[in-house]
Amino acid sequence: MDHMTSSSRTQWISGITLIVILFVLPVFLNEFGRTGEYWIWVSTEMIIMALFAMSLNLILGFGGMVSFGHAAFFGVGAYTVALLTKKADLPLFLALAAAPFTAAITAAIVGWFCVRLLGLYFAILTLAFGQLLYMIVFQWYTFTGGDDGILGIPRPEILGPTNFYWFCLVLFLICFFVMKMIVSSSFGLSIKTIRENMERAKFIGINVRRYQLLNFIIAGAFAGLAGGMLAELNRFAQPDFLHWSKSAEPILASLVGGMYSLAGPAIGSTVLIFLKIFLQQIHPSMVELWAIVLGAAILVVVLFAPSGLVGLYQNIYKKFQS
Amino acid sequence: MATPILSIENLSKSFEGNQIFSNVSFSVDQGELSAIIGPNGAGKTTLFNLITGALVPDEGKIIFQGRNIVGMEPFDIVRLGMARAFQRTNIFPKMTVLENIVITIITRLKGNLRFVKPWNSSRKIERQAFGILESVGLADKAHQLSGTLAHGNQKRLDIGVALALEPKLLLLDEPVAGMSPDERWETVELIKELWNEMSITMVFIEHDMDIVFGISQKVRVLCYKSLLAQGPPSEISANKQVIEAYLGEEV
Amino acid sequence: MTWQLFIFMLINGLCQGMLLFIIASGLSLVFGVLRVINFAHGSLYMIGAFLAYSLSTLLSGESLLGFLILLLVIPPAIAIIGFVLEVTLFRRVYREEHLLQLLLTYALVLILDDSVRVIWGGDPRSVTRPDLLAGSVDVMGMALPSYNVFILVIGPLIAFGMWFLLYRTRTGNVIRAAVSFPDTLGALGVNVSWVMTSTFMLGCWLAGLGGVLTAALSNIDLGIGMEKIIECFAVVVIGGLGSVGGALLGSLIIGTGLTFFQLPFGRWALVFPYALMALVLVIRPWGLFGKPER
Repeated sequence: MDHMTSSSRTQWISGITLIVILFVLPVFLNEFGRTGEYWIWVSTEMIIMALFAMSLNLILGFGGMVSFGHAAFFGVGAYTVALLTKKADLPLFLALAAAPFTAAITAAIVGWFCVRLLGLYFAILTLAFGQLLYMIVFQWYTFTGGDDGILGIPRPEILGPTNFYWFCLVLFLICFFVMKMIVSSSFGLSIKTIRENMERAKFIGINVRRYQLLNFIIAGAFAGLAGGMLAELNRFAQPDFLHWSKSAEPILASLVGGMYSLAGPAIGSTVLIFLKIFLQQIHPSMVELWAIVLGAAILVVVLFAPSGLVGLYQNIYKKFQS
Repeated sequence: MATPILSIENLSKSFEGNQIFSNVSFSVDQGELSAIIGPNGAGKTTLFNLITGALVPDEGKIIFQGRNIVGMEPFDIVRLGMARAFQRTNIFPKMTVLENIVITIITRLKGNLRFVKPWNSSRKIERQAFGILESVGLADKAHQLSGTLAHGNQKRLDIGVALALEPKLLLLDEPVAGMSPDERWETVELIKELWNEMSITMVFIEHDMDIVFGISQKVRVLCYKSLLAQGPPSEISANKQVIEAYLGEEV
Repeated sequence: MTWQLFIFMLINGLCQGMLLFIIASGLSLVFGVLRVINFAHGSLYMIGAFLAYSLSTLLSGESLLGFLILLLVIPPAIAIIGFVLEVTLFRRVYREEHLLQLLLTYALVLILDDSVRVIWGGDPRSVTRPDLLAGSVDVMGMALPSYNVFILVIGPLIAFGMWFLLYRTRTGNVIRAAVSFPDTLGALGVNVSWVMTSTFMLGCWLAGLGGVLTAALSNIDLGIGMEKIIECFAVVVIGGLGSVGGALLGSLIIGTGLTFFQLPFGRWALVFPYALMALVLVIRPWGLFGKPER
């Protein structure tokens, strides 16, 4: 037990250090003019995509449900912000607050159908619903702007690049701690129990579908918030936000970072975005090869390290301990 | 006379045209410790699946504590006070032994929808869990991942999980299957002890006749799609039909 | 709608459906035996189409002989690619969880699609139809493109061929046994890994054939792989995963549905396959012809 408290103390210390660094980062980056501003933008994107990846992992890693339609809720959040600020002239903060709700409602409807199915069929049904929503957004010119998307989302003046970064960081941290609370609560344990053995879970009295649906809705809400934040960062929303290849991104991030921890997917997502930009910096033509590099990296992880970077780290850590 | 806790009335079930049961009826008295025996393929586990709601019978009633439970979901039936332990170990492997028990207690107390407090913050639940772990002899392994336990201990944990539901009726499907001879008798002793202490009604499926005739008050024989005989062990081991159909020359 | 227009659209829809069937039946067959949903099936189809384009520039495309060579060479080439993929990658994840299998095939999509872009670039391409199939045939006073009629002939031939293979040959018996009783196959004394490899190759052969036929039907570009794999998902989900007969039904429903809905709904017709797929999954998750798991 002593060992556990000491390791949780190191966790706290490193966590707080990381948070401090993240807060100070833009001040430091601002010293570098245009390049610095670019990196602030990139860091903001990393924070948002980390939130998106963590939201998926609530159902993927903790719930054991493979969804290939998670981008739908991300996209619904993005379009909520885009439409409310642009067409209803609502202030950004209200629009952002609405994003998780619209996403949760969508997730409730989609989830109600999907949690009836198991495993592979669940994955395909989420894919089908995701693509259905994508096609609707893609086609509905009068409402969503079709394949052009919605451009020119307004930005309040006080939210310059640095302030927006801080704003996103604070939102991210709030979400992180709320998710941490959820996964270590009785509900979180119930979800893990279902993941471990769905049949047995029924025979200890757990209403499996109900908790899976709830978890699906919670994950959708967080994804919606992330989508709203990204729409505001880019100042546009486009149908690609709902495409199934977007749904694959947080899955890959979870795979790379490790699915059985809260922070794993966030780390994975950050690593992947960084890798992409790093390649870009080496040589612009490397962007052409990004998908090949990413694909090869996934192959390596799938074949040799299915528990991801965090799992790898834990294995090495254990070896050092013994 | 004791009142039945469970009555099965005219139960029939078939799979893709194969009749498994036709018109099975019997009732289990409050507080009894009884066994179900029968040749392989007689449908013993299927019977448990029907009683616990995993399968829905084609016809018939299953009355548990005065209430027809046919068509109810397994998790609702569990909440009425019926628990089962499985033939093949059926636990939550990547969770610790303690977590296995705690989630069961939380579910029994309907605490699954608490989102704020950590699940391990309740000392009361933890004490209860350790109490159960002690009664099945796993207290010293509480923080081990349950998937890493030896087979015998996994089966004990499975029983522990069922006990954590504080059931009124406990169905045990071959509780000693796959155990070494020593482990078997230990587990049998455990079952008998639990039954003595907790006043639970227990029904178990078993192949080992020494165990069946050793501890049960009543034995039911499933054969030929129906209940062939039921009665105290002495009566059953002398029953001509049962000997011909099932026990053969061994007894 | 005049009846001529109706017939015209029906034939076009059936033609689209037949083409879809050729590709989707490969996906379905592979799932049935390997229990892996191969996201990369669409990429293999796309590679088939682009290889057909490259080879046709070397041959004189307009001759019937050239086109026949494409049909004879490209599908086996894709099957060989499939062989390599199965032996080096797929084989290693059959026992893993679904997620890892899906991710493996998704990684292949990323690699293969990007390779196509690097090799062929983003411009739309097409294969010139041979003279014999370039014109139109006169059916009941209507001029139908002879190439579409050709596909309408090829499709049923492939369907018949697959039926013959699956139900009238020993290999077919083994494959069907593998679909129905995956666990007991080893006990029958069958070389399971050989069955899996050859089924996968057959699936890839069909993807390649679909690629060649598409390349001469319409323009091909980098998006066709992604587009087709989702359509194939819709088909096999509607028909039932692993069922070739179901794939035929599903393909024809989607092909004709897309064509007919285009008239009243325009581009909204593209929503149809997804909506139908979601509907079928909700009502009959195992598909119209499939069997429930367990």
